[in-house]
Amino acid sequence: MIEIQNAVKKFDGFAALDGITLTVPTGAVYGLVGPNGAGKSTLLRCLNGVYRTDEGAVNIQGEPVWENPALKARIGSIPDDWHYFLQASTQDMMKLYRGIYPTFSMERYKKLEDAFPIDPRKAIRHLSKGMQKQAAFWLTMSCMPDYLLLDEPVDGLDPVMRRQVWSLVLDDVAERGTTVLVSSHNLRELEDVCDHVGILDHGKVLLERSLEQLQDNMVKLQVVFPEEVTEVPSGIPALHASRLGRIHTLILRMNATEAEALLAQYNPVLVDAVPLTLEEIFIYELGGANYAVKDIVL
Amino acid sequence: MISLNYRDSRPIYEQIKDELRKLIVTGALAAGEKLPSVRVLATRLSINPNTIQRAYNDLETEGYIYSVPGKGSFAGERGNADAARRELLKDKARQLLRELRVLGVTPAELEALLKEGETT
Repeated sequence: MIEIQNAVKKFDGFAALDGITLTVPTGAVYGLVGPNGAGKSTLLRCLNGVYRTDEGAVNIQGEPVWENPALKARIGSIPDDWHYFLQASTQDMMKLYRGIYPTFSMERYKKLEDAFPIDPRKAIRHLSKGMQKQAAFWLTMSCMPDYLLLDEPVDGLDPVMRRQVWSLVLDDVAERGTTVLVSSHNLRELEDVCDHVGILDHGKVLLERSLEQLQDNMVKLQVVFPEEVTEVPSGIPALHASRLGRIHTLILRMNATEAEALLAQYNPVLVDAVPLTLEEIFIYELGGANYAVKDIVL
Repeated sequence: MISLNYRDSRPIYEQIKDELRKLIVTGALAAGEKLPSVRVLATRLSINPNTIQRAYNDLETEGYIYSVPGKGSFAGERGNADAARRELLKDKARQLLRELRVLGVTPAELEALLKEGETT
């Protein structure tokens, strides 16, 4: 279990993390989303022990991460800017990883050779950006980590490789109960792989739910009211309402059954509940926090 | 055996449920046949294993599948589906019938359709 309590991290007085509290249960795949500059990468750097928080606690399995090599040996981390030595090949880096991680499995390293079309003797700096990312995955997954911290992991990977990488990670989750914390902007993809989601904004957690709760907590309805009703009745607490012809599209913060019961009193001609995608939830949740697409004409 | 449509508005676990139901109802998965394990399905579809477990649990409550501890999940007998699911499908049928009536399909034609369904 990963537990972060009231973590604060300041850079020159600017609080990149401003009192974050967040829990990732063991065996969960936790998706960290948020606008640019929300503090996602800073949070991940606090978790892998690169940054020390100014205040609050960052614990994994009840122990603080900072200067804790025994714990860090069980954490696999792929940062956005993965570091490798200038002249090193994948094979050289493998030797480094094998030296640092006691759980490093040569068996798995050999098995994964088939998954990634990389020549292990080629210098990493001569590989393309996407292939460098593949090399990072290859080495990190070979370490058999219990905790996996991924910062924009599939950035720069082609569609086939994205599936390949997720399939490897999820196989590990199903088989070994690996706990995964992943930051990403690709909400469509997170929806498939995550079971928990946390939305970050301005160094704070705006919302933290299991995907199940999240989808059950908001509903999009297409409603046709009877002829005489032209406006959405004021008794309906719609987060968002739009209209096309006679069809009103309403977003409500409740589950589908409650929403249908609420609307029944207005005798609608048609009520159709449509599930919300994570992308819509993200937009509507952050819309309340003054974050919306601004109409700027150039 | 299961294909997901990433442009579909239905949540992934609903899609998995619908696909499995279809396989069981059509007999593509015979009663007592073993379903792929959660791990296999998670890896093959690149989907969170908990999502798949949730779909399996729902299907078990609905009576489409049953699980044997330590062995896995198996397709149940056809016609074991629970009452709630039946009501839901009847509702869908009502909607379809209403639309067919509006389109001018006569009751006689609908009856013929019903007979067709009984023989298959």
